[in-house]
Amino acid sequence: MTEGGVTGTRSLESFLEGNTRPVSRPQAAVDDGVGPAAGRTGEVIESSTTTLVAEARHLHEAPDFGAFVRVESDGRDIVGVVHNTRTQSIEPNRRPTAYGKTEAELRREQPQIFELLRTQFEVFVLGYFDGTSMVHLFPPQPARIHSFVFPCTPAHVLAVTEDPQFLRSILETTGLPTDELLLAMLRHALDQRARGERGSRAYLAQMGSELSRLLRDDYDRLSSLVRRMTTWEQA
Amino acid sequence: MKGNGQIDSGSQRSRRGRVGVVTRGSLVEGLEMKLDAERNVEDMKAGKFVVIEGDKNDFFSMVTDMRLDATNSEILLHPPARSDELLRQVLAGTGTYNIVSLRPMLMMSKDPTSRDFDDGPRPVKAIPSHFSLVQEAEEEDVACIFGREGDSEGKYFSIGSPLDMDTEVCIDMMRFAERSNGIFGKTGTGKSFLTRLALCGLIHYDRAVNLIFDVHNEYGWKAMKETAGKTSSFVKGLKQLFGDRVAIFSLDPKSTRARGIQPDHEVYITYDQIAVEDIAPLQDELKLNPTAIESAYLVYAIYKNSWLRTLLSLEGPDVEEFAGEIGAHAGSLVALHRKLKRLESFPFMVKKLESSNGDHRGDCDREGDCVDRIMEHLDAGINVVLEFGQQTSMLCYLLVANVLARRIHEMYVKKSERFYATQRPEDQPRQLMITIEEAHKFLNPSAAKQTIFGTIAREMRKYYVSLLIVDQRPSGIDDEVLSQIGTRITALLNDEKDISAVLTGVSGTEGLRSVLASLDSKQQALVLGHAVPMPVVIKTREYGEEFYKAMGADVEDAGQRRQQAENERELLFGPE
Repeated sequence: MTEGGVTGTRSLESFLEGNTRPVSRPQAAVDDGVGPAAGRTGEVIESSTTTLVAEARHLHEAPDFGAFVRVESDGRDIVGVVHNTRTQSIEPNRRPTAYGKTEAELRREQPQIFELLRTQFEVFVLGYFDGTSMVHLFPPQPARIHSFVFPCTPAHVLAVTEDPQFLRSILETTGLPTDELLLAMLRHALDQRARGERGSRAYLAQMGSELSRLLRDDYDRLSSLVRRMTTWEQA
Repeated sequence: MKGNGQIDSGSQRSRRGRVGVVTRGSLVEGLEMKLDAERNVEDMKAGKFVVIEGDKNDFFSMVTDMRLDATNSEILLHPPARSDELLRQVLAGTGTYNIVSLRPMLMMSKDPTSRDFDDGPRPVKAIPSHFSLVQEAEEEDVACIFGREGDSEGKYFSIGSPLDMDTEVCIDMMRFAERSNGIFGKTGTGKSFLTRLALCGLIHYDRAVNLIFDVHNEYGWKAMKETAGKTSSFVKGLKQLFGDRVAIFSLDPKSTRARGIQPDHEVYITYDQIAVEDIAPLQDELKLNPTAIESAYLVYAIYKNSWLRTLLSLEGPDVEEFAGEIGAHAGSLVALHRKLKRLESFPFMVKKLESSNGDHRGDCDREGDCVDRIMEHLDAGINVVLEFGQQTSMLCYLLVANVLARRIHEMYVKKSERFYATQRPEDQPRQLMITIEEAHKFLNPSAAKQTIFGTIAREMRKYYVSLLIVDQRPSGIDDEVLSQIGTRITALLNDEKDISAVLTGVSGTEGLRSVLASLDSKQQALVLGHAVPMPVVIKTREYGEEFYKAMGADVEDAGQRRQQAENERELLFGPE
């Protein structure tokens, strides 16, 4: 416990930019450092077998779109991908108002308004880790509410994206920004590989081939996807 | 190989060159394979040799055709740009793929304990299951099917190597010798080299004694090698390779000597040796009409063997009178007489063998019948090359070949009959193989019924005589003869008719057609038939120093010999 529980005794400076630690929010009770919560990026606040909604630990600090995240729940690591992020008022009935000022000015003059906002992100569940191996199946039980969400380590990302099965999961699910999400995921997967031992080109070709199989009736879509991938290589 | 690690082949012996998996097909129409994405379709040449690993059997197969295919016609309408390399890579093997047609030729059990295993490769009676792996054939596979040269029985003779492989393809010389064989190919595709190879094999392994009608003078002594514009070089002939085991007979000793060769014997033919049957096949060349042959038979009926001498001894005006005497149609006999007069211009035609007019034509003795001479040689196991020198006219070739072959065949029939009667091994005649070039002249549908070669081709081995037919126009040969050919060695043929003709009497030829039409114009041949277990495309064995050595020939060249002679001269007479 730190000053988080002692409302009203924060110095004015503590509200300045760069120190956005919330004051009155219960989940802020656990801090960085050691313990099971160390390194978390959010916390599950809505859970189902296929999707999770998590609240980001800090305002505007949700994981990137298409990033792979991991939720520890019931002793297994559920793996998912971030497919939507939104920031809104804590209270459903109140909406933020436009002030016509920069964020820095607002933080100086009205720091409390940031306390009334929260960032949530939605995670599509891809599978779970059984020990160290990735299982491309929905977990037997959904993640528990208030489980912590962590970013996947490079080793996890490699394990999840090794098998092109994840492409199929995304393509077959409705309600996702499928193509954008696929590209974003591949980009994340590729970032881990460019540093790794496997050639990024070979990986893209392999994943592309799988997409080609999955999208065999939709050549336009495939070619647009692959052409967009080509630009990463040139970059 | 990249693809190999992904699926365990599960075979007894793991091959290393996975090329694809079988996807569809039938026993009758052959199989289709999807080529692995990482394989380049350009490596799959027609005639390439692959092994399909089924669950119980290995299927030795030949690539016969390939096809580019796409799952979606959209891809074909909007193909990826040249710069879209990733897209092309992505589509390869998924959206776009290659189908290779395979023709299974032989199957072999994989299980060493099964009954079929000991039989070795057998004809295909089953097909492999879906998704059986297709591997590139390896040296061991080829040896397993075709045998290796240098086996204890001396059966196998290497005539080349499979496409893109360094191992040898052998033909079974025992089987090769026991039936008539054909060597076909367009002009300039290496027929003569193939023939020379086959003859060397027969002589080296002593599987048959050969009588070669060498109309272009290219088998006996050296022959020129076509070297595409570069300085032409010469290759050794049979006499140079096998020495005493080959005798050169010459119809035109002058020409033979002009080429620097001393013929072992000169050949003369008397008019009495020519029968009416020998004239009949010349109908086309002499432009005889059908009644001419009948008239000839009339003359023969009276004068028997001397019919031709008698007829030709007449002068023009006497012929009509003569016709009246024998009851022949005057006009017909006059025409026959006029046309047969052409025979008199041949230098090898003589009235009598013992030259009574003192016209001594050479230092070789002309005594005795040349056919008897040839038979003596053949009986002794000495191969005979009959050179025609400058007498290369078709008329001369047809006449001589017919006269000689007919009489030799008669003798062989007698010998065989004696052997059947006595059944003593020493009476068994030697297998004789007669090599004829431009074979369609003897074996075209009309001639095949008249010439002795048609009979030999049909009766075949009953009388221990078989043919080695060398021809560039197999469609001109009678179907009945073609269907009896045991082994066919075929260089490039383009004409549809020729291709069909070569494949007459061979089952499952659909795939072979494309293979035949796509052979290289040099040093490539398709071998199929009796002496090989399955059809195979070969790169012909190099006919050069190495081959001479393998044939046991003395390979020292002229330079070395000259040097040796020089050394010996110095020894005798001291330095100049």
